[in-house]
Amino acid sequence: MLNVVAVVSAVVLLATYLTWLAGRLDRLHARTDGARASLDAQLVRRAASAMAVAEYAVAAGLLSVATARALSSAARVASTAGVAERESAENDLSRSLHTAVPLLGQRDADLRGLLADLAAACSHVVLARRFYNDAVRDTRSVRRRHLVRWLRLSGHAPTPGYFEIDDTPTTALTALDPAQPT
Amino acid sequence: MKVGLVCPYPWDVPGGVMAHVRDLAEALIAAGHEVSVLAPVDDDEEPLPPYVVPAGRTVPVRYNGSVARLVFGPISARRARRWLRDGQFDVLHLHSPETLSLSLITLLQASGPIVATFHSANPRSRVLAAASPALQPALEKIQGRIAVSAAARRTIVEHLHGDAVLIPNGVHVKTFVGAEPMPGWPGTGGALGFLGRIDEPRKGLSVLLDAFSRLAQGRPGLRLLVAGPGDGDEVRAALPANLRDRVVLLGLISEEDKPRFYASVDLYVAPNTGGESFGIVLLEAMAAGTPVVASDLDAFRRVLDDGRAGKLFPIGDPDALAATLAGLLDDPTRREALADRGAARVAAYDWSAVARSVLGVYQTVRMAHPAHPTHRAHPVREEPAEPADPTIAPRSGAGPRAVAGS
Repeated sequence: MLNVVAVVSAVVLLATYLTWLAGRLDRLHARTDGARASLDAQLVRRAASAMAVAEYAVAAGLLSVATARALSSAARVASTAGVAERESAENDLSRSLHTAVPLLGQRDADLRGLLADLAAACSHVVLARRFYNDAVRDTRSVRRRHLVRWLRLSGHAPTPGYFEIDDTPTTALTALDPAQPT
Repeated sequence: MKVGLVCPYPWDVPGGVMAHVRDLAEALIAAGHEVSVLAPVDDDEEPLPPYVVPAGRTVPVRYNGSVARLVFGPISARRARRWLRDGQFDVLHLHSPETLSLSLITLLQASGPIVATFHSANPRSRVLAAASPALQPALEKIQGRIAVSAAARRTIVEHLHGDAVLIPNGVHVKTFVGAEPMPGWPGTGGALGFLGRIDEPRKGLSVLLDAFSRLAQGRPGLRLLVAGPGDGDEVRAALPANLRDRVVLLGLISEEDKPRFYASVDLYVAPNTGGESFGIVLLEAMAAGTPVVASDLDAFRRVLDDGRAGKLFPIGDPDALAATLAGLLDDPTRREALADRGAARVAAYDWSAVARSVLGVYQTVRMAHPAHPTHRAHPVREEPAEPADPTIAPRSGAGPRAVAGS
């Protein structure tokens, strides 16, 4: 009798634990998906801000044709890139911004407004990317567990990948708002 | 935005984390947001600001060389749950959720957009290392982590295996500018100031008392003004008899009196020997225009711009401190230059700037939620484990927006 009780309680405990673990994993995947959506939205916003700055710079003759074209094409490629090319496209945009922004100066209120938008967009990319990679790290660490792998508790959800780009803000932009998070 | 903040330490005991929560709350309110703060309160008689909701009393626990006042028990849990349900917050922002405190109790019951700020800088904490596997499932619910210092961020990376964005503490610069000194201070013989718990070894008052004893023998007018709670008899006992009346102990001073305290001294001294994750007092002194002398802790060096905005001395070295103080006491021009650089440095740490950065985190986290307001008309419902509404709700309970969780 005692044996039966012991076996039944063990089974109940294990089932409870597995259910809880599956729920936990589910929440982690949801968090990762949400963080990814936020990151995508912030990247799109950054590309749009960069495009606006590029258009202004061309109209005002603030950049050489080559630099302005490099910036606007990097912004366009970044905003349309597929999943596979996303990181390298965003890195190209970061590089173009590092080259172009210091050359712009801050000659009028319109440009300062555009640059402030761009600065905010860039700092939001930093936040969103860090929160996404945090979510990925937490998700992957639970997915790595033996029980999760043997019992396929993660179902069909693909293993999320880290998003690695250079998003260090250009000094010319951080100077606009020194309290931005790093 | 409706923001719910949770302070883990008692509202009526002044401390770094409590002051951070209060100032963030007030800066967010000033920026037009709706804020509620859940905090333990030890003294029922204490009047509370309208935005604070009391969550019960705390229990003192010795931990890591300090006395931590923690909150436990079903009463706090119930109050936290009710606060979550009634608040319907767009973002829940917990402070120090890695301690066994009200923040953790609240985290266990919450779902939705959750942000947490980590204040503790203790890279070798055995307690944290041992507790981290048990805390992990709860901490996983946090979608945006903030560290108040590089050291606090390192602690997160090492113990909690995550990362965090760095947003330093803020200071209400305006409230410290141009305060009237206390009557008779700073006087002509030189006045030094110290603020902090006087019986907390890591605040380093004993280092300053040592240095003061050395300096005071040759400087008959030199005085020391000490503000902070703790047993004053011990401090007096540590001093030579002839110096006792030149050390003035104010005891715990109110927030309103702090600007006057800083204005009453020629030099503010922060002799901390460790454990300090940021050093808000340094920023307050700088905002008040009082030159700062501080021990060479990482956090202090960063705030003081590597010694340009305030003088640094080797940690726990009373001789070096005495020499640094002597040099500055004898040179008003250098003191003034130091105060000017301090005042310039502190502008970037004003709470309005800090609150803007924190709001950026809130926005990013809300956008990460399946039912970000732009989706509100068509809630995303294919994620059963996450609430479809971005509002924070208890995991279960009677509230209309309550969500069943794990």
